Amino acid sequence: MRVLVVDDHPSFRRLAARLLAEAGFAVVGEAADAEDAVREAERLRPDAVLLDVVLPDRSGLAVARQLAQAAGAPRVVLTSSRSRSDFGDSFEWPPGCRFLPKHELTSARLRDALREP
Amino acid sequence: MTAHRARSASVGLGVVTLALWVMDVVRQLQLGIADSGLAFYAVAGVAGVAVAVAVARQPGREQMGLVLAGWLFVSVLDDLSVDWPVSRTATTGWMLAHGLAPAAYGLMVLAYPSGRVRARSERALVGLAVAFGLVWMGAPLLFFHPGDCTTCAPRVSSLLYTATTFDYLPVGQASWAAFIALGVWFVALLVRRLRAAPPGARATLLPLGLAVFFAAAEFVAQRIVWLGGWAGPLPALDWVDRANALVLPLAIFAGLAAIRSRRGPLGDLVVELGRARPGEVGRALSGTLGDPTLELALWLPDRRAFVDEAGEPVDTTSIPDGRALTVIGPPGEPLAALIHDDRLLGQRSLLEAAGSAGRLALENTRLQAELRAQLAELRASRARIVETADAERRRLERDLHDGAQQRLLALGLALQLLRDGSGDHELLVQAEAELQTALRELRDLARGIHPTILTEQGLLAAVRSLGDRAPVPVRVEGPDERYPLALETAVYFVIAEALANVAKHAGASTTVVSLARENGRLRVEIADDGCGGALARPGGGLQGLVDRVATVGGTFAIASERGAGTTLQVEVPCES
Repeated sequence: MRVLVVDDHPSFRRLAARLLAEAGFAVVGEAADAEDAVREAERLRPDAVLLDVVLPDRSGLAVARQLAQAAGAPRVVLTSSRSRSDFGDSFEWPPGCRFLPKHELTSARLRDALREP
Repeated sequence: MTAHRARSASVGLGVVTLALWVMDVVRQLQLGIADSGLAFYAVAGVAGVAVAVAVARQPGREQMGLVLAGWLFVSVLDDLSVDWPVSRTATTGWMLAHGLAPAAYGLMVLAYPSGRVRARSERALVGLAVAFGLVWMGAPLLFFHPGDCTTCAPRVSSLLYTATTFDYLPVGQASWAAFIALGVWFVALLVRRLRAAPPGARATLLPLGLAVFFAAAEFVAQRIVWLGGWAGPLPALDWVDRANALVLPLAIFAGLAAIRSRRGPLGDLVVELGRARPGEVGRALSGTLGDPTLELALWLPDRRAFVDEAGEPVDTTSIPDGRALTVIGPPGEPLAALIHDDRLLGQRSLLEAAGSAGRLALENTRLQAELRAQLAELRASRARIVETADAERRRLERDLHDGAQQRLLALGLALQLLRDGSGDHELLVQAEAELQTALRELRDLARGIHPTILTEQGLLAAVRSLGDRAPVPVRVEGPDERYPLALETAVYFVIAEALANVAKHAGASTTVVSLARENGRLRVEIADDGCGGALARPGGGLQGLVDRVATVGGTFAIASERGAGTTLQVEVPCES
């Protein structure tokens, strides 16, 4: 399974990529902001995207909505240093997206989130 | 009663009085009485009402006009009944008017010139005169039926009645005694008032005083004639009686004119300013100087600028043609300025005198304008401080999330990989680096919230440590003293922000921070040799410094000529 990692912190991108590799995913690319993410997703056509909610240029949520519109859209897992409760119960997550806070990132949870149909 | 209502009432009463007067004259003409006495009576009526209305139209004299019109009204009712066909209503009205005529006369004289009777003894006299009038004429009303009595058609002149009318009533004798007692008291009060008047004011009382003594003399003469039993009225005394109706209003008019000429337009201004509400001082000045286009500008020393009475800035630098600017107050420290028609410049002394007369009111108005301006500034700075604090919290939250937390999350991921045995030495080095960076970022953040060194070692040490971390060399000078914590904190952050600005914008090669304590004030100067040209724009970083200094009662000054570096001067009061 081919995965694109989108986050503006290089050290997080690097470690997340290693973790994904350990979990048996192929990390095919990395992006540091929303614009990069959209471009890379179109170019690489990954099966899944690990996407930070807060990006320097645009919200990761907007990116998720944009990605969902394309044909053969990748599966999107949103992640953030904030926890789910910071966003509140009534927060509208983009349809079809999973949310995994960064402090809960483990190989097992990643596998669950990315592979679940 | 308000001035406006008193004026309207005077005019209304004057019109009614005049109408009655005309009716009476016409009636007498119909009866074939067309002598010089009637002509004089007609002239006196018109003149009296004209004086009353003219007095009521003067600002501040409305009440006096009303009192005068009231007396004329009562007098004409009293005189009307002479030769009037007797009816129950007419006689009742006449009797009441006749009874109240002395009280109305006394009220008018004692109320002069303000239109109000203030002294307690004078009020008492007027009150007693009213009571006397009601008893004097009211009591006979209870017994007297004009329909039954064909011989008692009243035949009287205004203030005298020949005792033939009510002689059969015992109350008539007592009334006479009371009437004379009240009259003596009245004359005594008037003499007292004349004697108590300051020399200049005597001229304003004299015409009325003379008129009253004239009337009193006539009254006494009539009494003597009557008691002496001379048959028939003496023509000379009749003329004196008629003249009274004219002399009194004229005396009041002459007295008021004397007051007016003594006071002049400036006196009117002072009175007017005394009544002016805030915001109306300009209008009062404009009325006195006769220039409806006159604008008032008040000087605010703090802002070194002119504002109008609402606190809005006024441009005094470009005066259009046909207008002129007159500054009131000592040069260099003006109180106010008048922008007016330049033809007024011919009356320079009047302009300046008006300015001086209005000084107190102007000072008041200016203080109010200043207060309004300060209040607006205070509200604005309070809002800015709250905004700044909110922005600061947002920045802290973002810094925590983007900084230390990201590092720790990365560290967590690295540890996870190491635990699962898939790590290597490089990952371990990276993990340690993340931890070190996280710690450093947390320290910086904590220092940004409140630097420990400031609490522990004081302002000078804290500023030195700021200087050590600054990218531009900073020299710090000053005594190592402690100040109240709020003051130290405010000054510390001002210096921190100033040094950050130097690093960001100035392109300086060196900066000097000097602290000095002088006369209970802490003086701080931050001087760089950079490019200069800094401005305290609203919403800019410097505005934040201004607000922070203001919270501890300090002042902030900036000198930043382009190319000549920037010097910030902050002065904060600090008790020893």
